[in-house]
Amino acid sequence: MAGEADPRWAVQVDGLWERFRIAGDRPPTLKERLFTFRRAEYRQFEALKGVSLRIRHGESVALIGHNGSGKSTLLKCIAGILPADEGSVRVDGRLATLLELGAGFHPDLTGRENVYLNGAILGLTRREVDGSFAAIVDFAGVGEFIDTPVRNYSSGMYVRLGFAIAVHVDPDVLLVDEVLSVGDAAFQERSLARMRGFVERGKTVVLVSHDLGAVRALCRRTVVLDHGRLVFDGPTDDAIEAYEELVAGGAPPPEPEPDPVGPARTGDGGARIVDARLLPAVDGARPSGTTAQLVVSFTAEEAVREAGSLSLGIAVRRPDMALYVYETRTAWRGIYLAPPRPGATAAVTFTLDLAVLTGEYLVDLLLVNASTGVIHDRWQEALGFTVTSPEHDFGVAALDARIGVANPDGFWPAELHAPPPERGGPREHPLREDRPSPGHEPDVPRVDPALAR
Amino acid sequence: MAVRTTPPRTLLSSGELLRNLVAKELKVRYKGSALGFLWSLVTPLLLTGVFTVVFATFLRIPLGEGNFATFFLSGYLVWQFFSNSVNSAVGAIVGNGALIKKVWFPREVLPLSLVLSQGVHFGLALLATSPLFIWQRGVHLEAIPAILLGFLLLTAFTAGVAMVFAGLNVGFRDLQELTQVIFLAWFYLTPVIYPLYTVRESGAQWAVPFVLANPVTWFVELFHAALYGTPVAVGPNPPPHWPDATTWLVCSAWAVAALAVGTVLFRRWARTFAKEV
Repeated sequence: MAGEADPRWAVQVDGLWERFRIAGDRPPTLKERLFTFRRAEYRQFEALKGVSLRIRHGESVALIGHNGSGKSTLLKCIAGILPADEGSVRVDGRLATLLELGAGFHPDLTGRENVYLNGAILGLTRREVDGSFAAIVDFAGVGEFIDTPVRNYSSGMYVRLGFAIAVHVDPDVLLVDEVLSVGDAAFQERSLARMRGFVERGKTVVLVSHDLGAVRALCRRTVVLDHGRLVFDGPTDDAIEAYEELVAGGAPPPEPEPDPVGPARTGDGGARIVDARLLPAVDGARPSGTTAQLVVSFTAEEAVREAGSLSLGIAVRRPDMALYVYETRTAWRGIYLAPPRPGATAAVTFTLDLAVLTGEYLVDLLLVNASTGVIHDRWQEALGFTVTSPEHDFGVAALDARIGVANPDGFWPAELHAPPPERGGPREHPLREDRPSPGHEPDVPRVDPALAR
Repeated sequence: MAVRTTPPRTLLSSGELLRNLVAKELKVRYKGSALGFLWSLVTPLLLTGVFTVVFATFLRIPLGEGNFATFFLSGYLVWQFFSNSVNSAVGAIVGNGALIKKVWFPREVLPLSLVLSQGVHFGLALLATSPLFIWQRGVHLEAIPAILLGFLLLTAFTAGVAMVFAGLNVGFRDLQELTQVIFLAWFYLTPVIYPLYTVRESGAQWAVPFVLANPVTWFVELFHAALYGTPVAVGPNPPPHWPDATTWLVCSAWAVAALAVGTVLFRRWARTFAKEV
């Protein structure tokens, strides 16, 4: 990363090659190194094959491509996380990368303490964090929970706080990898607005995303990568067209990325959720008030078996309302799970009463060590389901009101129930023309003889 | 997420991060524990009790009119700082794989924050046990600068060793287990339980070069001089004093060498940590 940067360019990548050695499942042990002549066998994987890219100050560029195309690797090289095997990478200006939200958060520390720790990891001074602390808490919407250990946070609060810190770093060059898709719809909206603010203030933004909508909204220029090579660089609309042709044109099957765990899937992988399904399986919506079973199965590695019990958590949210509807964990119910032996799969069934109203619901899953709080697997939006309820109620919870009335005057005639248009009623009210002006008695009976008893 | 300025942040400009990580170590360690910091005194005090009974009463390590408990403690606190630092730092890179793969920051801060938090424990333990030293060995203000300077050298040496172990462990993961074994043997090669003179005066002259080649011997000797005084076989043991020039020279040389070699090696290895963890 040394050398003279050409000041015209914010990011200057020249002939960049990046190679990974993919060993077996485990690195060689000392015994193998001492007693066998050859070192462990590696398969060479070329993630980037001579990529050159120049980005002007104030430009916003998207990197797109299928999984394994090398776009995330390129971003990590620009970030300085991965060294260039060949070629060079130069960045002019203060750089921030949003690859992982809440990097280095410690579950036992409070939100406040983690903001300072995470800020320091991002390169902020104490004074800089002090200056934007209120804004961070406000943006994250964690409110009074800021002085609660983050182990008690819902998964949504956790990533929102991580994101809030990240976007309050004030970089010259901002690198973003997929994190715009965290949180609920309202939070994504704010995140996108914040990104747009960066672009408008003349910051350089490099965005990796599968979300072509976000790419269109933020970047005028887009680079398409395919199997480690840059195959298109130009206006976003043309690039997306080229990318879609590439996908439609039967591109060779994508090689697995070295790090397949995307931002929607985080954790140390010591134990992993392998399957999650909602039973009974239905096509379309489930009727409100019915029962469903959420069956989650997971595996664990040998190392985790020594590390204590596991707790499996589910969070149900309503993305259109930015609302956590329900969250529970086995540990909260006093159920501590022994990690299954390697090769075995454990399953946990959550029997849920779907006492909710019409809407789309998303389920986040979380597998943690119940005593240390270490996150083994956090799977956002693992599955979703739709509920329909009778049309007369609105909201989330099926509180199912039964209505009783004590009124000596009885009931208003059924035909006149609808409120006037200015209070949200239908425009074409059947009796609109006949209604008297305000202050006059309506020329209809006050009491409907059929209803008054 | 990472923030990198161009040129990349150096260790010196990462003081803020280092300070935060040390604070995290200390906070996390004692969160929710009633005794808090006192826990870090339990091991040395318990061992002091046990070893005093075993080695001063049963085995009769000759200390004349000296005091075994303070002699042992002055060396053991040094050993504990060194050993705990390296044993925790050895897994510092591998254990923070997720962070290293996703964030750029000077990797040195991970082992260094562990060494510095152990340094805080060492300082607090010295303060907490100082009444015992004053009671047994008297007040010797001239030894205080020696303790501070010795602490600096010991920290530099420990940091260098910790960086080498942390970096090596990325290549061979067995090191983490091996370190515990190495340190168990290393402890007995260091004159903590026995005074150095017993080796010189024993029949096993061949062992002397080994004990003297052990850098930790010199740091322990430095603190023996500054905290305890001189252990002798017969009569009163001379009180705490300024360590001799040889000890200072050897300790300084080891401190500078370990820090320099540790930093150079660690920096070289650190380039590819993100690919290997």
